[in-house]
Amino acid sequence: MKGKQYSVKVYETTMDDENKFLSFFDANHLLFKDRLIVIHGSISEKVKKFLEEKSLKYILNLELPSSRSTQEVEKERENRAKLEEEEQRLAQERQLLMEEKISRLSDRLQNNLTVLDEMVRSGRELNIDGDLLLLNRVNSGATINIKGNLIITQVVEGDIRCYGNFMMLINSPKANIIFHDVRVDNDLLDEKLNRIELKDDEIVITPVLKKEITWVS
Amino acid sequence: MGIVIAVISGKGGVGKTTATANLGLGIATNDEKVILVDFDIGQRNLDMILGLENRVVYDMVQVMDAEVGVNQAIIKSKVNDNLHFLAASQTKDKTVLSSQKVKHLLDALKEEYDYIILDAPAGIESGYEHTIEFADAAIIVVNPEVSSIRDADRAIGILDSKSQKVKEGGDVHKYLVINRIVPEMVQNGEMLNSQDILEILNIKLLGKIPEDKGVIDASNQGKPIILDEKSIAGQAYKRISGRICGKKIDFVDIEAVNKGLLKKFAGIFK
Repeated sequence: MKGKQYSVKVYETTMDDENKFLSFFDANHLLFKDRLIVIHGSISEKVKKFLEEKSLKYILNLELPSSRSTQEVEKERENRAKLEEEEQRLAQERQLLMEEKISRLSDRLQNNLTVLDEMVRSGRELNIDGDLLLLNRVNSGATINIKGNLIITQVVEGDIRCYGNFMMLINSPKANIIFHDVRVDNDLLDEKLNRIELKDDEIVITPVLKKEITWVS
Repeated sequence: MGIVIAVISGKGGVGKTTATANLGLGIATNDEKVILVDFDIGQRNLDMILGLENRVVYDMVQVMDAEVGVNQAIIKSKVNDNLHFLAASQTKDKTVLSSQKVKHLLDALKEEYDYIILDAPAGIESGYEHTIEFADAAIIVVNPEVSSIRDADRAIGILDSKSQKVKEGGDVHKYLVINRIVPEMVQNGEMLNSQDILEILNIKLLGKIPEDKGVIDASNQGKPIILDEKSIAGQAYKRISGRICGKKIDFVDIEAVNKGLLKKFAGIFK
């Protein structure tokens, strides 16, 4: 099968008054030479003959895809504008929510988070003003001094001094943990992650289940 | 071009010098040219353990100060022609060392030998730092006890920050030798097991050496234990030497093998 595609200009009209139709096409037939005329209604033999004489291409009662009225277009534009406005408002809300969350998070994580994934070996001393997230062991004989918050995901066997709002540690029987100048009893630490925080001048230790490790609610 | 291996431990008395002597001999029997250099200036021991104390004429400090040529000071082993030895000074102290002198000496030795094994002094002072400064690899000798592990950990930390290779953006290969394992004690939980040690130190395991009473006598006689075919420590040193020379030798789990034996005995008495 072979096919070709054309883009044709179409003139759509209705057959109400035969005489008017004839006089109109008689005067303007040259304009319609390369167009397709779609006529709604029925045509008489006379009209048919006339169109063939002027070699005008026509087709009867063809349902063309309806074109949109200007009113509709206007309505649509309005709708779109409304949608955009709504979207903008939502985005703004989301932004505000995010900022709020961040500010809430940074209340807890004070400032300058340092993330370290290296073993802290014996004899090494880490002094950090901000927060620290440590993803490796702290060996016996190593010292960590933190002014901010501290999270360590591996076993600690060294000395830890933390002055932040909170500290998160796993069970570390050999560690020497000092939180705000108070020694934390190793036996109070659960196998899993523990949150050690200061609440009304009292040190509170709460075991944290894995699914609860979310600081942003 | 040879490679420089520093034998370190941090703590003293864990068997660093014994390991150096035995591994040197073990590598030499694998047809590699080896030189052992005693970096424990002021407290030289390696010559005695190798049974070469009466052969020492010149020491490493005299070579570094260009008082004598390097070949004049090098002593050939009595038991293996591939094994050579450069003694430490017994009269001077660590302060005579300098980076430049050490580098110069090691560069000269690298031309001649396949393996240059440095016996580091105990501790983490300047003498230790000079030993590890130009090392390509380090063998860390530990005993299965907490103080040895902590000191080794510290020594590794210094190795990772002060070695020339690390400063140039490279990496010093680190291998662990666990010495003087008493299987019964490990089984009873009285001694750290090798898993725990590896977890703390986080380096590759090169081998484990069981406690062997013969080692002390061998050292006193100046005949490294590796020469004794029957000795369990000697066999362990043999396996480790093979691994250093790139041979694929399966790990013998000293701790588990004896457990099996014990169970067998227990079975007999039932």
